Amino acid sequence: MWFERLQNIDRRVIYTILLIVLITPMIKPIGIPLSVNSTTRQVYNLIENLDPEKDIVMMGMDYSVAGQADVHPQAVAVAKHLANRNIRNIMVSFVADGPMLAEKIIGILGDRVTYGQNIVNVGYLAGGESAIKKFIEAPGTTFINDHRGKPLANMPVMAGIKDINDITLILDFQTGSPGYQDFLRQLPAGGPLYAAGIVTVSVPNVMPYLNSGQLAGLLQGLRGGAEYEVLIEEPGEGAARMDAQSLGHVVIVAFIIVGNLAYFGSKRKGKTHGGGDKV
Amino acid sequence: MKRSVPLLIVFVIGTFLLASYFFNFTLPGTNITLKQGASTINNWGVIVTAFAVGLASINLLRIHGAKIINQRSGWVNSAILILTMFTFIIVGIYSRSNPDNESAAKLFSNLFNYAYSPFSATMYSMIAFYVASASYRAFRMRSLEATLLLSAAVLVMLGNAPIAEQVWAQFPVIGKWLLTVINTTGQRGIAIGVAIGGFATSLRILLGFDRGHLGQGD
Amino acid sequence: MIEGTHFVFGAFIILGSIIIGVLLATRNGKLHPKIRRIPALDSIEEAVGRATEMGRPVHYSPGYGDITTSTAPQTFASFDVLNHVVALTARYNTQLIVTCKSPQSFPIIQELVREAYLVAGKPDMFREDTVRFISEAQFAWAAGVLGIFTREQVAANIMLGYFMAESLLFAEGGAQVGAIQVAGTGNLAQTAFFVAACDYTLIGEELYAGGAYLSQDASKVGNLAGQDIVKMITIAFIVLGTLLATAESDWLLELIKK
Repeated sequence: MWFERLQNIDRRVIYTILLIVLITPMIKPIGIPLSVNSTTRQVYNLIENLDPEKDIVMMGMDYSVAGQADVHPQAVAVAKHLANRNIRNIMVSFVADGPMLAEKIIGILGDRVTYGQNIVNVGYLAGGESAIKKFIEAPGTTFINDHRGKPLANMPVMAGIKDINDITLILDFQTGSPGYQDFLRQLPAGGPLYAAGIVTVSVPNVMPYLNSGQLAGLLQGLRGGAEYEVLIEEPGEGAARMDAQSLGHVVIVAFIIVGNLAYFGSKRKGKTHGGGDKV
Repeated sequence: MKRSVPLLIVFVIGTFLLASYFFNFTLPGTNITLKQGASTINNWGVIVTAFAVGLASINLLRIHGAKIINQRSGWVNSAILILTMFTFIIVGIYSRSNPDNESAAKLFSNLFNYAYSPFSATMYSMIAFYVASASYRAFRMRSLEATLLLSAAVLVMLGNAPIAEQVWAQFPVIGKWLLTVINTTGQRGIAIGVAIGGFATSLRILLGFDRGHLGQGD
Repeated sequence: MIEGTHFVFGAFIILGSIIIGVLLATRNGKLHPKIRRIPALDSIEEAVGRATEMGRPVHYSPGYGDITTSTAPQTFASFDVLNHVVALTARYNTQLIVTCKSPQSFPIIQELVREAYLVAGKPDMFREDTVRFISEAQFAWAAGVLGIFTREQVAANIMLGYFMAESLLFAEGGAQVGAIQVAGTGNLAQTAFFVAACDYTLIGEELYAGGAYLSQDASKVGNLAGQDIVKMITIAFIVLGTLLATAESDWLLELIKK
């Protein structure tokens, strides 16, 4: 009976245990050491190898507010890296939430950037893959004004952009749709390099594109953001939440083990009591 | 007629857009290229989407408005929905139309950051708890396949958790191998199948062989 | 012709011709392809029957319901199954709730359901709130659907189409109200959640087989058979490419780039 009760434990017990495990390290950080994935290092090296005099980066702000927890730390860390190296950064959004999140990042960067000079938030273009196609065909002229309503034509950050090949690297932060597949379908062969920052749940899907070289680099969820913060030596939200994520994973594994122990325990009990049908 | 006209529109527009991917010539009698025409049609698509949002919003107003007027069960929720919908619409349109008005921009920004954002994030974070309860309920070693599923899930989770790496340094290595070798193989196969299925379905719709979305009438 | 599209154009014509050719041959009775048993699709009638016995509604979701992007084929495949589900609910006199996220597909779904009830001889079963547009925002939609599960106590939950992060919310939410759940999506990241939390799951392109399997319509079955032939050709290409790559030949790679 004990095993049956354990198998059918109230969900609220599971949720409460998980909640305690997640909140505790946020209040009292543990500081678990974090190694850096090769895919994160690839993105870091891409930016390190850029030339501030001529290279331009397009940052795709295509994640929703819901997925902020997973992707926002990545976007902030990368934006800081670009700002530190004084690389021109054009922030474009193909999801409605994007421009507001871009403004948030620009606020975080503060004095590291001069709006209009080395960073701009051009705003949101509706239409999903059609919008991406339209932007790729004419990146310099698709938007007339930026998200703040100011004309783009006079901004130094937009100078010299005639076609997509004038952009060196596209770094797209996304939670789903439109996503890496939409970009990869529309980008011309031999065009700008493409790297993505994605939510953890999409990582298995993206692996074939990373292995084939279509993606030049990949930031994997919250961990990717934390790893990037380690690389640029500016720990932030990502690193702060890794303890919680780490313990959360361990607790879920523990639940699975307990559940299986209960399952085998009740199976065994059924056999020893002669109830052959009891499972 | 009711089905023939939409089918004809789908065929003509679909073929035009498809052709613009492969060819780029000037349309006879005009100085418009295929690509320019396709770009215009894409823009029409964006406009139709915007109108569809308006149509759906009107439907929302009708359903929830009727609920409020008739004071049916849950009408308070409907009232809150309509109130918040109009608040965002009015503040959003006003702040976009008056970009120099900082108070309006700040209000919209606050509504986004302190109302919409936390609600969305809350829903997304429920997934973490649901993963826990779904894993607890579903991951049982009932069969060989279930055991493999469970083992793969556990190893990938531990591979991603820095604390597990401190216990045994091989966890990330095993997790990465599962993701880059086993997972990628399966993903590629299923992705190709899904893509072929999508291609066949799209072709069927383009050529009018599939009319399920037009209803079952004549 | 635009540079770099020759191979794709050739592949499109050849593979498209094969699919349409097999479709027409099946329609004209020259071919009789058979579809293997798909338990998840068989279970749909069981799910509707269960809801009828319990006197509780059936919930159907076509997912994101997108009809203009690359996920549109999944939505159209879902519409095929929705026709069947409407016919079942009409036969058993069971309430159906269809929730919709996409404003573009909302009028299509409304018409589809209305006409299906008309054809089934039960036009009165279509009510204004049978098809409900919830919200275009992903998690507002998710919250709305979960609310419907709880308030209406759905007994059967059918989710077929393109889903993203909300898939587990729906699956677990449905499990919490004790609904029998059938799900399928082409989004592989979410298939795992459906497998873990639902009773029956369609994996990968089984979703596209739904309409053909349930209706046994010759065109749809032929289309499915055509897909399988294209898959065989793709496998042959993969094998050839692997052998050529092993022999350090770029011939196929250069051909594909044309």
